[in-house]
Amino acid sequence: MAIATQGTARNYLQRAPSPSGLADVVDLILDKGLVIDAYVRIAVIGIELITIDARIVIASVDTYLRFAEAVNRLDLSETGGADITDLRGGDGGGARRALSGAKDKASDAVEGAKDKVGDVKEKVSGRD
Amino acid sequence: MAVQSPPRPGADDASATGVYCYGVVSARDARPQPRGLGDMPVEPVVHDDLAALASRVPAGTVRARRRDLLSHMDVLSAAFEHGTVLPLRFGTVFENDEALVHDFLAPRHDELAGLLRDLSGQGELRVTAHYREDAILAEVVRESRRIAQLREATRGAAAGHPALIQLGELVVAEVKARTARDSRALLERLRKHALRYEVGEEPVQYELLRASFLVERKRVPKFEAELERFAAEQAGRADVKLTGPLPPHSFVSLSHGGR
Repeated sequence: MAIATQGTARNYLQRAPSPSGLADVVDLILDKGLVIDAYVRIAVIGIELITIDARIVIASVDTYLRFAEAVNRLDLSETGGADITDLRGGDGGGARRALSGAKDKASDAVEGAKDKVGDVKEKVSGRD
Repeated sequence: MAVQSPPRPGADDASATGVYCYGVVSARDARPQPRGLGDMPVEPVVHDDLAALASRVPAGTVRARRRDLLSHMDVLSAAFEHGTVLPLRFGTVFENDEALVHDFLAPRHDELAGLLRDLSGQGELRVTAHYREDAILAEVVRESRRIAQLREATRGAAAGHPALIQLGELVVAEVKARTARDSRALLERLRKHALRYEVGEEPVQYELLRASFLVERKRVPKFEAELERFAAEQAGRADVKLTGPLPPHSFVSLSHGGR
């Protein structure tokens, strides 16, 4: 059975025998399957609304503003990151300088980002 | 708009019902089920070595509600436990059992039998992966100096400030670029374990991938292991979900024209 997970301390992959949420069900069922002939009718009431709901396209000013808001709300000290500790408690100038350097360091950081994010998180919470 | 049975000239339609069809199985694998759409029992309609899973629907009352979608899916999933299943599009209704045979099973017999053979021992695996908002946004801020600067500059800016729109646009572009890169990489890893795959067209907000894979049952563990590794690598950054094996909803089609 779960041989696939050997070697990992935790199961990261969520598994489900069948879709549960409405969006997932719609996604799996709707517009799928054998279509026979034109005169066999298909029920469609209400479904357009559901699919539109489930597919918010990322392409409007509203969306941009939502993303901008989300980025501004972001508390980087909680989400971790290579240079975040430098930013904490520094004056504005320090922060600006740290940010300029961030980009160069970022590409190196990406490689081990996942581990590092975990480390930083621990560091931060350990200090607090 | 509700489903109507096709009108049948001259027939007495006072108590008209239709026959809702879920899918096709081989007659050998066909089993009745106690509950289908509208709680009606599901009975196989057999023709030769094929059987259609069908239940009665009162004319004009089938609607595409959540419950109905689930019934459709559940009947097919239950049948899938006994063998290969060819799902029909949701909402397919015939006038009666005879019409089901004469308009569908008989004229399409060879094609349906061929599909059943081709899809034997295979199932659809559905993979969805979503970024965690805070993690992906933090990554974007860390890796783009421009975004980090704009973010600092727009702190406390009035809602709708043009710089905010610019910031959001840059963030969206960065998230999209990551989606493209990550989904390509994941597809590359999964496709070698699959016979076919189909990727969802328009990614929803923070969606890394939404795709279906047609996988041989005996290769499902390898597929799962590959995805498990990806999920472990992405821990904290993206959540990965695997659904199935399911009947091959995304991988069946009939040729059209000529019947």
